[in-house]
Amino acid sequence: MRGGCALLAFLSVVSCGGGGNSLGAATPPVQPAANVVAAVVDGGPPGLSALSVNTLYTTVTVCVPGSTTECQTIDHIQVDTGSSGLRLLAPALTLSLPVTASSSGASLLECMVFVDGYSWGPVSRVDLQVAGESAKSVLVQLIGDSRFPNVPSDCASTGSAEDTVAAFGANGIMGIGPLAQDCGPACATQAVPAFYYSCNAATCQNAMVSLASQVPNPVTLFATDNNGAIIVLPNVATDGAASVAGSLIFGIDTESNNQLGTVTVLSLDATSGGYLTTIFNGQTLTLSFVDSGSSALYFNDPSIALCSSSGFSGLYCPASAQNFGATLQGQDANGTSTGISIPESFTVANAEAQAQAEPAFTAFPELGGVFGTAGSFDWGLPFFYGRRIAVAIQDSPTTAGPGPFIAL
Amino acid sequence: MNGFRMPPFAFKRLLASGAIACAVLLPCVASASLGEPETSAQTDGEQMHGSIKESDRGAYRVHEIQLPSGTLVREYSGLDGVVFAVAWNGPFMPDLRQMLGRYFDAYAAAAKAKHADHHHLQIQQSDLVVQSSGHMRAFNGRAYLPQAIPGGVSVGDLL
Repeated sequence: MRGGCALLAFLSVVSCGGGGNSLGAATPPVQPAANVVAAVVDGGPPGLSALSVNTLYTTVTVCVPGSTTECQTIDHIQVDTGSSGLRLLAPALTLSLPVTASSSGASLLECMVFVDGYSWGPVSRVDLQVAGESAKSVLVQLIGDSRFPNVPSDCASTGSAEDTVAAFGANGIMGIGPLAQDCGPACATQAVPAFYYSCNAATCQNAMVSLASQVPNPVTLFATDNNGAIIVLPNVATDGAASVAGSLIFGIDTESNNQLGTVTVLSLDATSGGYLTTIFNGQTLTLSFVDSGSSALYFNDPSIALCSSSGFSGLYCPASAQNFGATLQGQDANGTSTGISIPESFTVANAEAQAQAEPAFTAFPELGGVFGTAGSFDWGLPFFYGRRIAVAIQDSPTTAGPGPFIAL
Repeated sequence: MNGFRMPPFAFKRLLASGAIACAVLLPCVASASLGEPETSAQTDGEQMHGSIKESDRGAYRVHEIQLPSGTLVREYSGLDGVVFAVAWNGPFMPDLRQMLGRYFDAYAAAAKAKHADHHHLQIQQSDLVVQSSGHMRAFNGRAYLPQAIPGGVSVGDLL
C-alpha cells in the first residue's frame, strides 16, 4: 500500500482488538520448523514512495533450475491468498533465469492483471526453497523483465503498469490462494485476452495454455505439506503497530504444527475464484472473500463517514470507532451457502486520524473502506490479525475433505 | 451464480423488449465508452467480441455485453444518450481503455499515483469515480461520471 494510504494511522479507541477478536484465543508464537517461514507486516522494500500498510511479506530462495550455487534469497515477497502463483520482480533479481516456451515454441509471456494495474513479463522456472520446503523447476512469472519491453495493447488496456519494485510495492508476490493455477480452465480452452501470450521477437499473440503449463500455486509443488497453508499473526493494538511478526505454515494437517483441531471449515466456491458468503446489515453478500492481499476490510455501509482527504479516498473515517457484527458462511461449488457459519465482530476506526497519529506505523487492525459494487465483503489483512487462518487449495485432500476452503 | 444479478422485474422487461433480437445480429448496436454517445458504443461490443442485450430502466438504459471470457460488462446511458456509467463483473478484467474511453488515461494516471493494494482501487475525482475490486478470477468494478448521473438515479442502482 503506497501513496496516500501511507498517511494512514489510527485513533486509539474502544474496540475488541481488530480482526482477532471473537474467534479463538490470541495465537501463541509458532515454533521454528521445516514448514514454517517468517511472515512480517512492515513498510515494504526500500525505494517505495510511501510505507506499505497492512501488507504481509515473506522471504523465499530461488535458484537457476538444477543449480545449487546460482541462488538468491529475496525478501519482501508479498503473501497473497487472493491470487495464485509466484511472481518475482525482475529488477530485484540478480539471477539469469530461462524463459519457457509456449506450445508453438515461441516465448511464453504473461499479463498478470491485478485490480490496481497489470504486471507484464515472461514465464520462467526456478528451483524454489521456502524455509525447509522445496520444489524443483517451478513455473513463475518474471515481472518487468527488460528482455520483453513491449506490452501488448490488450494488456496495457487493463490499467497502469506495475513493473518495478516501487510500482508493485514488493520484490515479488507469492499467491497461495485456494486456486491451483492462476488462469485455470479458461486459458486451457481459449486464448483469453490479456493473460497468456506466445511471443516472438516482433509480436505477441494471445495463447491457450494447458493447466500444467500455467503458473501454479507454488505450495502445490512441495513434496509434502502441499495442500494449503496457514497464516498466523498476533493481535495488533487498536492504534496500530510499526510492524508485526507472524508465520506462514505450509500444509494442513500434515505435521504436528498445522493441525486443524477444532476450527470451523468454510468451503469456497472454486468456480468463481473462491467466494464465500457474508451476512452483514441484513444483506446476504455472496461475492465475499478472505484475502491477505487486501489491506483493509472493504465493505459497503453508507452510514459510515468517508475520509475527506484525497489520499484517503474510499476509506472510512468515522468520528469515533464503530463496532459491527457479521457472519461468514461457506459456499458449495454451486455458490449456495453451506449453512456452516462463523460470527465475527469487527471495528472500524478513523483511518486518517490514526495515520496522522502514527505516521510510521504499517499495521492498522481497524482499517476499513468502501468496496464499491454491491454483494461483496472483502475480509482483508485486518481480519488475519490475532488469528490462525488456513487456506486449502482446490482438489487438495485434507483431513477435513478436499479444498478449496478456509478454516479458522 | 456470480453473474449479473438483475431484479426479476427488470429481467422480464428485458425479455419483453426487442433487445434479445439484437444478440443474434453480429455485430450489434450497443453502447459506448464513458462520456460518449451510446450510438458510438457499438464499437465496444465489436471490439470486445461480446454479445449484447439492452434494457430500458426509465431514466436510463442499460447495455450488457457478455464477453467470451465470461465477464459481463454493462454500460448505462441517460435519456440524452450519453454513457454516464460502466460496470463489470466476472473472471477477467475487461478492456478498460475501451470502456472508459477518454477517461482511461486519467484513470491509469490516478491508479499509478495512488492505490491501496493489488485487490482494490478507488479513484475519486470531481468528474470521475472508479471503484474496482477483486481477486484472481473474480473482478468487480464500476466507473461513473458523478455530474452526469440522471436525476433520481442512485449509484447503488448501478451495482
